[in-house]
Amino acid sequence: MSQPVLEIRDLTVRYGEIEAVRGLSFLVGTGEVVTLLGSNGAGKSTTLKAISGLVKPAGGSILLDGEPLTGLKPEAIVRLGVAHVPEGRRVFPGLTVRENIMLGASNRSGVPKRALRDEVEAMFELFPDIRRFGDALGWTLSGGQLQMVALARGLMAKPRLLLLDEPSLGLAPVIVQAVFAIIAEVRRRGTTVLLVEQNARMGLSVADRGYVLETGRLVLEGDPQALWANDDIRAAYLRGRAA
Amino acid sequence: MDLILQLLFTGIGIGSVYALVALGFVLIFRATNVVNFAQGEFSMVAAFLMVVFAVDLEWPYWLSVLLTIGGMALLGALFNLGVYYPLRHRTYLPVIISTIGASIFLANTTLALYGPQPQVLPPVFETQGFLLGPVFLDSQYLLIIAVTAALVAFQYWFFEHTLVGKKLQATSQDKEMAALLGIPVAGMIMLTFVYSAVLGGIAGILVAPVLFVSIQMGATIALKAFAATIIGGFGDVTGAIIGGLALGIIETFGAAYVSVPYKDAFAFIVLVVFLVVRPQGLFGERVAEKA
Repeated sequence: MSQPVLEIRDLTVRYGEIEAVRGLSFLVGTGEVVTLLGSNGAGKSTTLKAISGLVKPAGGSILLDGEPLTGLKPEAIVRLGVAHVPEGRRVFPGLTVRENIMLGASNRSGVPKRALRDEVEAMFELFPDIRRFGDALGWTLSGGQLQMVALARGLMAKPRLLLLDEPSLGLAPVIVQAVFAIIAEVRRRGTTVLLVEQNARMGLSVADRGYVLETGRLVLEGDPQALWANDDIRAAYLRGRAA
Repeated sequence: MDLILQLLFTGIGIGSVYALVALGFVLIFRATNVVNFAQGEFSMVAAFLMVVFAVDLEWPYWLSVLLTIGGMALLGALFNLGVYYPLRHRTYLPVIISTIGASIFLANTTLALYGPQPQVLPPVFETQGFLLGPVFLDSQYLLIIAVTAALVAFQYWFFEHTLVGKKLQATSQDKEMAALLGIPVAGMIMLTFVYSAVLGGIAGILVAPVLFVSIQMGATIALKAFAATIIGGFGDVTGAIIGGLALGIIETFGAAYVSVPYKDAFAFIVLVVFLVVRPQGLFGERVAEKA
């Protein structure tokens, strides 16, 4: 693995009495796509929230290029180049698609509005399906379209590390395919991605490496083929899934 | 017919003041999900500041206006830091109580400093106004309407055509997501409080020569403006403007054709009718709560 962008060491996150993440350690290397797999409540989303500053870790450290992120606010962390596309897309319902995508660049100061407009147009090259909804308000879009907007908005941050939380959740299989085709393209363009998925098949299809979490602990790690070959994984996370 | 036109003019004038204060309500509500019960006191404080600068100190009117607006911006910033910010992670209830406390504090501080005597602020223009056909256009009412129109136009431009305006909207729609994008959420909320205090202050400056400048004027204006936001549809900017104008017109006509002593009651009769028949107001919930 190349130089790590992100290093998680012994991370622990608590919600009151509940330990959502317990002593988790892993690395994400430059240009890699790493996927965190696990069922509901395994601590995957909590891990992403801890990285982007939405929740305060109870212990351990989170290093971006060797510098600790712990204690920084979300606004400060995204300015360092960590973009978080959270679960549920969170597209601003009362703003247009163009405005939503444009605001993705809020972490980069001093970019003139004209340049941002051009960047949004360039983003539509990667997301041709939402171009015609450019002036539509967020709340009018379907789940798949919202996911595209959320991804485009995340990429507008020009992130060194893109955190994607459950991009396939609640989408029809054909839309899931389209979303992952875009993630594969994002990867080809060299963006480092940390992807959280319940859909192990899709997650592993775009990943260089994967980690499997269970009730807040790391239980398994490896390259996609190795994880794929693991019977426990197939039994636990692929049952009934036909994506 | 002449009387109707005359009443319409007066109604739009007084309604403009309600609309300005209602806009302050709506902007703060959208940014923080809390009704600021001290919004009316912003108008009252500004009116008293005008009396201090323009009457007591006899400074020029334009300078007094500038100083008052500056003072209101400062008050908005302090209000945000002292009344909202420490409670920002709590539910809406402690914040609402905090704004009620601030309202009582502002009214009573003014009372302590200035006493209970109502004050008079002279109008901006020497001339009373002029006749346009059968309608007498009072110069102060003309000013109120013109300033309100200009502020509404400015606000439309600001929210729809500037990046900061979009960031303010994003903040009001989803603070956590706005923070994740790098939008300075605390700064956006500070800006909202400053602007709302200035809006309320301008309303106070404009209306002071028409009413008496008194401790109670804040509560009266705030109640009317609050009714206007309900009529327009709470949280809706267009609704606040339309609701404010409608209320001004309704109470002016009510006073002329039904009863002068019950002038203030008409606003609340309309409010009750709306709460019963159409609680979401004229412009309702355009945007779903959750995407």
